[in-house]
Amino acid sequence: MVTTTAPPRPSAAVTRPRRPKASMTKKRREALAAYAFLAPDVLGLLAFVALPMVLAFGVAFFKVDGFGNYSYVGLANYKLMAHDDQLWSSLRITGIYVVTFVPLAFVVSFALAMLVRNHFRGIGWVRSAFFLPNVVSLVVVGLIWQFLLVDKRGAIANLLAPLGLGDVSFLGTPSLALGTYVVISVWFLMGYQMLVFLAGLKDVPKELEDAAQIDGASAWQRFRYVIWPLLRPTSFFVVVNSTIGAVTGLQAFDLVYVLTKGGPARATSTVVLYIYEQAFTFNNMGYAAALTTVVVAILVLCTGLMFAFTRGGRFDED
Amino acid sequence: MSATPFSARPPSRPSRRTVLRGGLGALAASAVGGPLLTACGDDNSGGGGKEMSFWNFYGPSDDQGPQSKWFVSLAEQWNANNDVKVKLRYIPGKDYLSGTTLQTAFQSGQGPDIFLISPGDFLRYYNGGVLQDLSSALPAESKADYLPGLLEARSVDGKIYGLPMEIEPLAMYYSEAAFEKAGLSEADLPKTWDQTLAVAQKLTGAKRNGVMFETLPGYYQNFTWYPFLWQGDGTPIKDGKVAFDSPAAVQALKFWQDTIKNKVAPRKALGDGGGDVVSNLGSGAVAMQQSGIWAVADLRTKAKNFKYGIIPHPTPDGGKPATDLGGWAFVANAKGKNPEAAAKFITWALGSTDAEGVERQRQWNTVVKTNVPPRKSVQTAADAKGAFGEGVLKKFVSEIAPTGKPEPRFPPEVYQPIADAIQACQLNGADPGKAAADAAARIDTFLKTYQGAPIS
Repeated sequence: MVTTTAPPRPSAAVTRPRRPKASMTKKRREALAAYAFLAPDVLGLLAFVALPMVLAFGVAFFKVDGFGNYSYVGLANYKLMAHDDQLWSSLRITGIYVVTFVPLAFVVSFALAMLVRNHFRGIGWVRSAFFLPNVVSLVVVGLIWQFLLVDKRGAIANLLAPLGLGDVSFLGTPSLALGTYVVISVWFLMGYQMLVFLAGLKDVPKELEDAAQIDGASAWQRFRYVIWPLLRPTSFFVVVNSTIGAVTGLQAFDLVYVLTKGGPARATSTVVLYIYEQAFTFNNMGYAAALTTVVVAILVLCTGLMFAFTRGGRFDED
Repeated sequence: MSATPFSARPPSRPSRRTVLRGGLGALAASAVGGPLLTACGDDNSGGGGKEMSFWNFYGPSDDQGPQSKWFVSLAEQWNANNDVKVKLRYIPGKDYLSGTTLQTAFQSGQGPDIFLISPGDFLRYYNGGVLQDLSSALPAESKADYLPGLLEARSVDGKIYGLPMEIEPLAMYYSEAAFEKAGLSEADLPKTWDQTLAVAQKLTGAKRNGVMFETLPGYYQNFTWYPFLWQGDGTPIKDGKVAFDSPAAVQALKFWQDTIKNKVAPRKALGDGGGDVVSNLGSGAVAMQQSGIWAVADLRTKAKNFKYGIIPHPTPDGGKPATDLGGWAFVANAKGKNPEAAAKFITWALGSTDAEGVERQRQWNTVVKTNVPPRKSVQTAADAKGAFGEGVLKKFVSEIAPTGKPEPRFPPEVYQPIADAIQACQLNGADPGKAAADAAARIDTFLKTYQGAPIS
């Protein structure tokens, strides 16, 4: 039934909330949408990264025995570090790993990006092949390389046998194990970093390269004076990202745990592995939390210095 | 036999509100110090004391093998006659042995009611106050049935905190085919360390190493090295004081080092490591390998046609034969929901002296697995069935096990310096004398402040 009566008009005595004159501005709507999209990630980071970090900072002031008992010890866990030779040894190993892995991964992935930058037949397959190791679980990567590197009988031993190197134990010799671990890490991460560089290279205006070429610049000069300066922010991101990954990322624990468990003779005992050992072998949860705090502080300091010296990857740009 | 029922609320289905409230409570608890991660992975199979969780690395596993079936059947038998039920939770071996599941559960007060423990972990859990005294639940008749030393290794101040389920002695396995190929016979089987190095040299080729000891750092490597220390009458701790800096330790460290130096042993084992006979000896990668009695069952099921034999550990000049008697035990969580019922379950499962209990143990030790039974009555029953009548098992029981000592229950602070010494000498060419002295100094520092149960 259709009613024809007009709706009653509100009396003057009834006060109603005033509606905004206009709906939200476009800018505000976009900001809200951005926050809404960010919210799941931010909440996840808060719950699973920020909160545990704060808790770990707090736990570092306690002696925690692994069975739910806490006793306040002040700075004792931090003082212990000064006399902990194994800690310094693991920091040294992590340092060596960082200064070899980061530049090597940078050079290899950058070279790959330059290689697959231009389109040619089958480019998609080539890029996928380089990226493929990165989609495999690190545990599986570790197992595959363990299989390839089997002493005397593995595929790599067979390859090297004609050179008289079939007897070399890459994962069982302290002087070789860390280097082997670096190579495997690079193999795993090169595809990802290659993609980052490719994205950066896409942003380099073709016109600039063309103009340089017309002006008679050689391929090296175009790279040195056009591409390289414009790639600085990307390079900076790659260096910071791989430094953090090398110290605390999955490859610093998963891979080394599967490959060598920190051996042989502690040659691959990274600081993250040492923290794990303190927490879950020695039940020194408080000490492990203090170690974590220090490692995070070192990382923050290093990253901060990198930002400061390079002006966030912009170097001498305004 | 019925266990004491626990007077608790009957398990009820949680409402959405209780779930939310619980979640917020957990978050609040974590904010005052409990690591959030400990909330992960807990199966909370408590059921308010009417159900006991039993975490283990045997069953019910996906492969539903005989060992898994034994565990499942054990729980079913108990559950059929008792009010407080046992609920098994299978944790894959690698996670159980060196993962975080057990540790995070205990840290958050959510540890299992019953679980398996190795001698190497005994003191860590005992000193943490989570092991339940089983003495009152274990009849005198059962206590007397255990072989000497086994219960003592799991006791503190005369109270028993764990019942061993098996004895796993170590020996040297050898491949008959590898010996034949090298033109060697049984007469060439090494009896001394020098002979071992010499024979291994003859057995080593382009694709094979003559001998193998564990190379991966960890509890297992220490466990396999102790017999070589004991052969020279050495020990890490004597009368509560460090004794590791000794000629016995130095020569044992040097022996393992020599196998690598002489290039007759691999620097890295295949498969699951030094205890995995199928992947190493069975594949032909090594000709002699140290491993435990469990390898007999492994070879039986995975390499049926492989011809092999065993010999006792070779000894140093003037040394005495020795082996390490490993083996896991059932323990109850003193802070669990029903520790008394858990203790009763354990003593029923492993300690029953009636015919059914003895048969259950015989099945586990000689049919489902290959172990030396830890109880006299079970050994007698197994003998009657001819389990140790011939072959390698006979040798294990009659010749090798009698030379054994129970695996030491060293806490991590003692185990780690020894592990570092072994690794440094074996794989990094360190001076054994210095390595032994360094390890001794670290152990000494620890012992000066140690306040837990006596270290054997």
